[in-house]
Amino acid sequence: MAAEANNAKPTFLSPPQEGEKPIVSLRGITKRFPGVIALDHIDLDIYPGTVHALLGENGAGKSTLVKVLYGIYTPDEGEIIINGRPTRLTSPADAINTGIVMVSQSPQIIDTLTVAENIILGLEKYNHLVPVTKVYKIIREESKRVGIKIEPSIEVWRLSYTQKQLVEILRAILLGAKVLLLDEAITYLPIEEKQRFYKFIRQFADEGGTVVLITHKIYEAMDVADKITVLRRGKVAGHLDRKEATIEKIRALMFGERSAEITYERLPTAQPEPKTVLEVKDLWVMGDFGGYAVQGVSLEVKKGEVLGIAGVAGNGQKELIQAIMRLRPIIKGRIIYNGEDITRKTTYYLRINGVGYIPDLPAKYGVSIENSIIENIAVLPVYSRGIINWDKVKELALKLIKEYEIKTPSPDTPVKFLSGGNIMKVLVARELTVATNLLVAYNPTRALDEATAIKVRKVIKEKVLKNKVSAIIASEDLDEIFQISDRIAVMNSGKIVGVFPADKAKREEIEHLMVM
Amino acid sequence: MPGSIASFIIGVSSIFLAYYLAAVGHGLMEKSGVLNLAIDGVFTLGVAVAFAISVYTFSVPLAIFIAMIVAALFGLMLAFITTKLPISHGAAGLSTMFLGYGLAALVGLPARQLQINGRSLATIQPSLGGTWIWFYVVAFAVAVGVWCLVEKTKIGAAIRAAGENPASAEALGVNVLAVRLFASGVGYALIGIGAALFELAYTQVWSQGAGMGYGWIAFAISLSAGRHPILILISAMIFAVLDKYRFLIAAIYNLPPDVGKMLPFVAAIAAMIIFMVTPLRRKLAPPKSLGKIYFREERSV
Repeated sequence: MAAEANNAKPTFLSPPQEGEKPIVSLRGITKRFPGVIALDHIDLDIYPGTVHALLGENGAGKSTLVKVLYGIYTPDEGEIIINGRPTRLTSPADAINTGIVMVSQSPQIIDTLTVAENIILGLEKYNHLVPVTKVYKIIREESKRVGIKIEPSIEVWRLSYTQKQLVEILRAILLGAKVLLLDEAITYLPIEEKQRFYKFIRQFADEGGTVVLITHKIYEAMDVADKITVLRRGKVAGHLDRKEATIEKIRALMFGERSAEITYERLPTAQPEPKTVLEVKDLWVMGDFGGYAVQGVSLEVKKGEVLGIAGVAGNGQKELIQAIMRLRPIIKGRIIYNGEDITRKTTYYLRINGVGYIPDLPAKYGVSIENSIIENIAVLPVYSRGIINWDKVKELALKLIKEYEIKTPSPDTPVKFLSGGNIMKVLVARELTVATNLLVAYNPTRALDEATAIKVRKVIKEKVLKNKVSAIIASEDLDEIFQISDRIAVMNSGKIVGVFPADKAKREEIEHLMVM
Repeated sequence: MPGSIASFIIGVSSIFLAYYLAAVGHGLMEKSGVLNLAIDGVFTLGVAVAFAISVYTFSVPLAIFIAMIVAALFGLMLAFITTKLPISHGAAGLSTMFLGYGLAALVGLPARQLQINGRSLATIQPSLGGTWIWFYVVAFAVAVGVWCLVEKTKIGAAIRAAGENPASAEALGVNVLAVRLFASGVGYALIGIGAALFELAYTQVWSQGAGMGYGWIAFAISLSAGRHPILILISAMIFAVLDKYRFLIAAIYNLPPDVGKMLPFVAAIAAMIIFMVTPLRRKLAPPKSLGKIYFREERSV
């Protein structure tokens, strides 16, 4: 199709502005990993004063491209031209020196260090023996100017996700960033924070800065970008001006023929049976840093229905899900699964009794990235009690790879060689296979692109409808909640503040309850 | 009895400083994320080098200096190969340890032959002219210096960042290789000085295998104090006393001598448990990426 760029002669590049030269140009950038061509002759021009979005589905090569731009990977072929000069970036320090700074989806700042220590590491003007307290003043002044409040002496592990991202942005500014690489940096922020970031991005670009926004969310690109480049399977699928861009056009470039599958219509409503599969009674659970994160939650899930838990990040959903999976101590209350009180049971018990679990941050908590897909399947107690039948597991792995279109050279490849989205697919595929009775999930499609996310939701719902599996799914994505749920419970400040049948629920009302 | 207290303080001063420097050097290196399993081999080599140079040149400063340089070179080599290449820290460290044992024999035996034939060995006597006072002064000065360096300066933050998460540290602008070379070079220089003092100020004799096992004790001293330069003062002192007086202690409590030999290690386990059950746990936690292979050109999540 037309969108498939021919790498021999680039189809079209962004038209140069009058007299303006690109601040960063990429010519024929190619990067290979064992068994995968992550980037295949990429050409790209980025102009100063613009917000340039890089869109693509999972595994399209967005993250790899950004890492090349930031000197984390050195390209196997091709040239990076910065301010008209061919430049070799061999480390992030090189990139920072040329004014390129990255903020990524998972905060790179280090938990055990203070905010100031994290920031000073990149500041060239300070020599190695300078006391860290030297930067306190600058941090306080600059954070005030940007309109955020950050105490330089605080250790980073005490900060929330949003605060960490704020520190990252502040750091980028203090490093004198001319080109800001935002690698899904705002994708997972709560709506309000996102709006503030959009404003900041606009202001930064208006003052002459350049922003490269890497995202798999089309809306995000449409909201702030001036120019959009779509990547597909390691190649440039097309460049668009914001003015000419429509969601349909972008989807066609991103997904090709799969774009027709994208729909936000509600999936068919289930007809649950009267039997209760999961019952939570007056549950109290502690958060990470003291205080109750879950405060007297009661809910139930019937056989063959999806209960969606809506809420802004950090309102106790994570702790609730972990408590249900018996991964977090229960202070008070009871959990009953299939008529059995599991308050004192272990995760192992749930796992051998038909419970699938999709945690947040899959690369950290869901799979072991050093191991292969086969091993990541075999590790579940359902397969590894006694002697593992490797042939059977391999067969299953191959089946799942095909079914879920997991991009991997082989089922024996360590999972860390896959892209973030594909790692998520490995996890979802595995868990849906073991969830013969109940699926417990937190942001199950967060790292996935639209087409894959919708496919995953369909697969989950199909399983619920066909096999009468129950599901409890907490998500910060309200579209997801509405699309997949049969009932919606809203969680706010550790409490359930309302439960609605999904077909009758009003979006405004739920949004209101979420932030109330 | 003030006299016996003084002789006690003087008596442990040399082994205390030797242990302290080796342990603090080890801790500094590991803070940067390089697992140091070569310590015993290089310590043994440092002991042999100091002995040999002292026999050949009869110069204590030169002996300490050369031992320091030789050890530092090993530190640089370890940091380089484990950071630049995807090589297991454990394999690199243990291989280097055996290399150290072998080289120690190679370096020490000819000098020992000379000594048997009548050449004498230059040593330091802690009790002479208040030298022992300087031993304590140096230990405390190094403690404060290393603590300030690690906890208060930019390079200290860089060392800790490289040990916690080298990939993130690199993204934050740290040159992980340079930082690890620095921490390991300085760390091993301190280990080398410690080894030289062990030979020249403490045992003052040499036979094949001298110093073997003492590197591991320095390892345990550092570990049991959570690699913290100030706390290592305490654990180094405890181990110094146990080493110097273990047979006396065994005799007083009527324990078999083999139990006496075990005392330092029992103390190490006890110290680690004490630290880990108190709130010190978070402060003294090992670097998260200690010993993990860090290879930049690899796809990572």
